[in-house]
Amino acid sequence: MGVFDPIIELTKGLGETLRSFLMEPTVTVSYPEEKRPVRPRFRGRHVLKRYDNGLEKCIGCSLCAAACPADAIFVEASENTDEKRFSPGERYASTYEINMLRCIYCGFCEDACPTEAIVLGDNYELSFLNRRDAIYSKDMLLEPVSSENMLTPRKVEAGVFTRSVPEMQNPTD
Amino acid sequence: MSKQVTLTINGKQVTAPEGLTVADAAKLAGVDIPVFCHHPKLEPVGMCRMCLVEIGRPVFDRATGQPVMENGQPKIQFMPKLETACTNRVSEGMVVLTQSEKANDGQRGTVEFLLTSHPLDCPICDKGGECPLQNLTMEHGSGKSRFNYDEKQHLEKMVPLGELIYLDRERCIQCARCIRFQDEVAGEAVLGFDERGRHTQIISISEPGFDSVFSGNTTDICPVGALTTVDFRFGARPWELKAEASICSQCPVGCNTTLNTRREAKAGGEIVVKRVMPRQNEEVNEIWLCDKGRFAYHYTEGKERLTKPMVRKDEKLARASWDNATKTAAENFVANKKDFVVLASGRLSNEDLFNLKSLADTAGGEAILYSDMDGGELTQLVGVGAGTNLGTMGKGDAILVIASDLYEEAPIWWLRVKQAADRGATVIVANPRATKLDRFATYTIRYSYGDELKTINDFEKKSKISDAFTKAKNAVIFYGNEGLGVTGTSVLSSACANLLKETGHTGSANNGLIGVWQRANDQGAFEIGFRPVADLEKALKNKAVYIVGADPVGDDPNLAKALKNVKFVAVQDIRETATTEIADVVFPAQAFTERDGTLISGERRVQRFYAAVPAVGDSKPDYAITAMLAKQMGVILQGTSASVVFDILANSVEALNELTYDALAQVKEQWPLVGRNDVYYGGTTYDNTKGLGVQLIPLAQAGGAVKISKVRKEAALRPKDKELLAVPSNKLYDLGVTVQTAEFLEQRIGETSVAMHPTTAKKFEAAEGQVVKLSFDGVQAEAVVKFDETIGTGVVRIPRSMGIAIREPVVAKVQVKAAAGKAK
Amino acid sequence: MSLEKKYAKEVKQILAKYPPEHKRSAVMPLLYLAQREEGYVNKESMKDIAKILDITETEVASIVGFYSLYHDEKAGKYRMQVCTDLPCALRGADEFLDKLCGNLGIKVGETTEDGLVTVEAVMCLAACDRAPMFQTQGPDGIKYHEYMTLDRTMELIEALKGGKE
Repeated sequence: MGVFDPIIELTKGLGETLRSFLMEPTVTVSYPEEKRPVRPRFRGRHVLKRYDNGLEKCIGCSLCAAACPADAIFVEASENTDEKRFSPGERYASTYEINMLRCIYCGFCEDACPTEAIVLGDNYELSFLNRRDAIYSKDMLLEPVSSENMLTPRKVEAGVFTRSVPEMQNPTD
Repeated sequence: MSKQVTLTINGKQVTAPEGLTVADAAKLAGVDIPVFCHHPKLEPVGMCRMCLVEIGRPVFDRATGQPVMENGQPKIQFMPKLETACTNRVSEGMVVLTQSEKANDGQRGTVEFLLTSHPLDCPICDKGGECPLQNLTMEHGSGKSRFNYDEKQHLEKMVPLGELIYLDRERCIQCARCIRFQDEVAGEAVLGFDERGRHTQIISISEPGFDSVFSGNTTDICPVGALTTVDFRFGARPWELKAEASICSQCPVGCNTTLNTRREAKAGGEIVVKRVMPRQNEEVNEIWLCDKGRFAYHYTEGKERLTKPMVRKDEKLARASWDNATKTAAENFVANKKDFVVLASGRLSNEDLFNLKSLADTAGGEAILYSDMDGGELTQLVGVGAGTNLGTMGKGDAILVIASDLYEEAPIWWLRVKQAADRGATVIVANPRATKLDRFATYTIRYSYGDELKTINDFEKKSKISDAFTKAKNAVIFYGNEGLGVTGTSVLSSACANLLKETGHTGSANNGLIGVWQRANDQGAFEIGFRPVADLEKALKNKAVYIVGADPVGDDPNLAKALKNVKFVAVQDIRETATTEIADVVFPAQAFTERDGTLISGERRVQRFYAAVPAVGDSKPDYAITAMLAKQMGVILQGTSASVVFDILANSVEALNELTYDALAQVKEQWPLVGRNDVYYGGTTYDNTKGLGVQLIPLAQAGGAVKISKVRKEAALRPKDKELLAVPSNKLYDLGVTVQTAEFLEQRIGETSVAMHPTTAKKFEAAEGQVVKLSFDGVQAEAVVKFDETIGTGVVRIPRSMGIAIREPVVAKVQVKAAAGKAK
Repeated sequence: MSLEKKYAKEVKQILAKYPPEHKRSAVMPLLYLAQREEGYVNKESMKDIAKILDITETEVASIVGFYSLYHDEKAGKYRMQVCTDLPCALRGADEFLDKLCGNLGIKVGETTEDGLVTVEAVMCLAACDRAPMFQTQGPDGIKYHEYMTLDRTMELIEALKGGKE
């Protein structure tokens, strides 16, 4: 082993560093100032979706709770009226809670949902100071609305929103 | 047992009683044939076509009458088309194929047809999860439909049939189970089909809508979510519910129920009862439950529940510790040892009553039953024999119902008596007015109020009616307290007991006396030694009273007055009442949903109920409270658990000898099979896995000498001019605390009305719907007049527990109120 | 006035035709009687019939609902009942009904402005092979009109109008 061998090796190594510095794209991001976009199928914190008119998609059917392998979801339903309408149809979720500590982000709730109301979003930044805060209530989960008149509950024209589940369509093929 | 026939189902040889349908025989043999319209308790109609199967029958040689043989086997001729398993009766040598390709194809097709216009809104449907259509579609449906979704019928989602039952016409598959139940089982055809073909829909135009006290049962047997109850509407999904066995605490029938519970946000995160469902007991309630039992359970919840013991301090009730409260009460009871009275009602369980009775006996007090009805000591002697099952009474048997409107007082007994009449039993209804049972009665006796004794004595004279009763194979008498108080029922029960004894209708199954008590466990109270007293005011005056499970102050102003002049009052109840307000000490008790215990039904069946929800606040079971109080008084009673108390009770009370909680929890297989995974067959009624109960043996059956005291005839009340004879009667939905708390029953409870004969009303110049003032015996009240042409003149009939305190017949002054009420 | 008082004699005659224990069978003739004057059975009459026959009102209403010859609502002078059951539908009854209503400017179940015709869709009238077909019920009794087209129907309506004038 020659005297210069270490220096050669070191230069080789630094050369590799120089090469990757100049030739390869940067992969690290300066989180939290900078956030890396998630994949389209990423399963993050849940969102309760609304229809375009602002009515809630959730009808309080509890199928998500039934599908949940971690027993993290609690749903309780009540009856809609045209005077005080939350969602289309007769039934809405008066209580909707997800315990984020229990949730394993498997997405079964999303699969079970007949109205595509519960969707696992792209938010992965969940932190709580106590166990109680880990329970996300309905108002925390609901999608925000763009204007005041889309808020729920609201008064709607009688006899328009009578069906809870979107109509089944005839196959088009 | 009827004749058995042998047939082959899916290659398996089975035997079934003759006359059974193929669907039922298959069920019995463990083969599931899908059905919608068929129900084991209803006549077959073959409307839904779901049970299509291949049926083959042996070919007989016409000349010889012998079966034609083929390869050493009888030749089987299959019908060219599929047949309905529900309308074909089993026959010897029949071959049934339920799983063949042809049969499967037929079943698949039927599901496809049924779904052509079904909204498939299972996610919001209350039936979703326990829905026969859902289950059978998963099992037998093709998964695809060839029909056009655009052509589904769109109708208004919810049509109330009444205030209790809602109809969703889109979901209805026109199986007519509900219509047939109302017609065949309940005998009240208040549901019907309107229109034809695809437009067929269920209607009810009775007043009020769906006017039947059995309406809730239609939601159990509805194979889809077309009929749902207003109480459970969107309440929970069935799979989220826990089930615990219970006994209905509303009336002496003792229907077996299941309490479905769930944690609820609306109830502040507590576990609450979401619905009451029938639990099968073919000897008690079969698979049915009346609406009162189903809907009037809300009294166990709410703000009025007592949660903490209270002691009166400076004229006000203040919260206290258990120790302090029991000590205060004990000191007062010990100080007034000679005047110690325990007043308890049949709302309590046997364990509670036993501890109370033990306390009263040991402390030298008196144990009084809070009831307007006497005769329980006679049902102990000549009550119905062990093995009694009204469901087996029929041709050759007789049932006498006297001074009781079973429909209003004990609906499931009404149903069972009506069905016995359908089977050919001689039903004799003796009542001073027309009742709903008259329609099914063989004989109706209409006597005047006060003539109860004479009516029974007339059975000794020879007549068609007395012959029918005397010569009957088996005979049961139901007696109630319509128009009677404690004294009157004491006389009547003796007369009935004598009649049964003289005609030999005692001491065996389906023979004996049944008291139609006011409360669920009055019979139990009698067994344990409680007795009602004729003059309760006098019995309470100047005493130190321990009131348990009763509200005398709220019920009767005279009792309220009497309780003002007492030395001390301790009240133990589950809710705030007018009586707890005047109490010196209040003990919060647990409701029957929160604890274990046993009740004894009018048919003397001891049955267990189980704790279903956690106790409210600091409340404790009644027996435990009594034991704590007893300890402070120096009496040692068991209060650790219901079963321990029951063991001592069973050893102390002779009739209950050797009974244990284990024996009460025994079950056996019952027919029809219900409540298992196959909800499509029997409906959503629960299977009985927690005990059928044990019927006590009356003394007459045990071989003891039965002595019945001589019947005294009391002087009839004589109303003067401008006076009427006021008589009490019973109403199913009344203002009693157990009913009132269910808001949706408000309309059924209705306004307080009194009934008079039109002639009587005319004499007082009262029109129908007019408000009259009644005054009698310290009671002042107002009520609306209703005409009843079936009662005698000179009488005003006043319902109990409707705001007018009436415990027994009295003479009343009647005055028409100046401002006439609006006639309706 | 109750049916029993109004047609005391007829009611008695009708009831006499049935054994007392099967008097519920008299529901059909009694409904005809109740319908005679106004062309439909009103709620009061249904109540009366239920009372006379000791059955429930719902049972009476059920029978009225089942038969296309009993009606529970007031209608025009003529009822035009188009059969829309399956075989008729296959032969274009639905289309025919739609067009007819469109032409008259009314919906199914409604009456034309002049009070002449009420169009109804009914279940099988047993003339499947001659669809589209309908029956008219009017002052001149019940008549079947088979193999109908829109033009011929409009002609018929004109004729009915003429008849009225």
